[in-house]
Amino acid sequence: MRDKLLFALGLAAMALLARNTLAVAGYPNEANQGAIFKIIFFHVPVAMAAMFCAAVSLIGSVMFLLTRNFKYDALAVSVTEVGLAFLAANLVTGSIWGRVIWGIWWTWDARLTSALVCWLLYAGYLMLRHAIEEPTQRATFAAVFSIFAFIDVPIVIFSIKWWRTQHPQPVFWGGGSIPAEWYITAVLNLLAMVLLGIVLTVTRLRQEEAQREIDSLRRTAHAF
Amino acid sequence: MLQVSPDEIVREAQRLQRNYEFLSYGLTAAWLILVGYVLMIVGRHRKLQQEIASLRAMLEDRGATTRV
Repeated sequence: MRDKLLFALGLAAMALLARNTLAVAGYPNEANQGAIFKIIFFHVPVAMAAMFCAAVSLIGSVMFLLTRNFKYDALAVSVTEVGLAFLAANLVTGSIWGRVIWGIWWTWDARLTSALVCWLLYAGYLMLRHAIEEPTQRATFAAVFSIFAFIDVPIVIFSIKWWRTQHPQPVFWGGGSIPAEWYITAVLNLLAMVLLGIVLTVTRLRQEEAQREIDSLRRTAHAF
Repeated sequence: MLQVSPDEIVREAQRLQRNYEFLSYGLTAAWLILVGYVLMIVGRHRKLQQEIASLRAMLEDRGATTRV
């Protein structure tokens, strides 16, 4: 049953992405930016999905520290890994957009820098987990690190409001406007990314369960 | 009437071409990252299943040896 539901969610995400890709291909080019503007339909939803993953990771980490239940630790690591992939896609698409519009691949502006720091912090979280052998200690240290890393998330989101940045103001909550049909496509792309994120997180969660089973089998093997 | 020189038309066509090129690079790169991650998950899944199977087989062997 769970497998079928997961498969259906994955299929729905793929169908939505296919629908949106076709829709975006049919939209006219933006007057000033041209065709590269269309990257926004992918760049923004992956960023939002990555921030959503970070929020779930924070909840999982806090819940682990409160309950000491390893399921929350597994949720935190799974969703962090998925969020990291989304944020990498966001950084790469943003950099390519910048190359065309600004003429440079990268600039140390508040939004770009805080997003890169965010990626490095969560990559550090995964590296920290690899460095600690003892499961309880690993989960505790990782949970504390994840809570610390989340401090950067509001900085990433609000950096364009707090500081004057080269990164453009947001179209969706910065006073900009786009046609209703484009807005719907962007929201549907976000939905597709969230569905994809759920499928990947649940799959990754199962791997954490399998890893726990391996640890338990190893302990039994040592006991012989 | 607004006059547009052939050079300007060529420049605009080149700009459009470059725009589409970079759009395709961007989307390809983003998809490669996501597909790469999915392949990584699939690879890890296989490795975990193999490890579980080998550990179970080892425990069964040891159990059989102990009984003998």
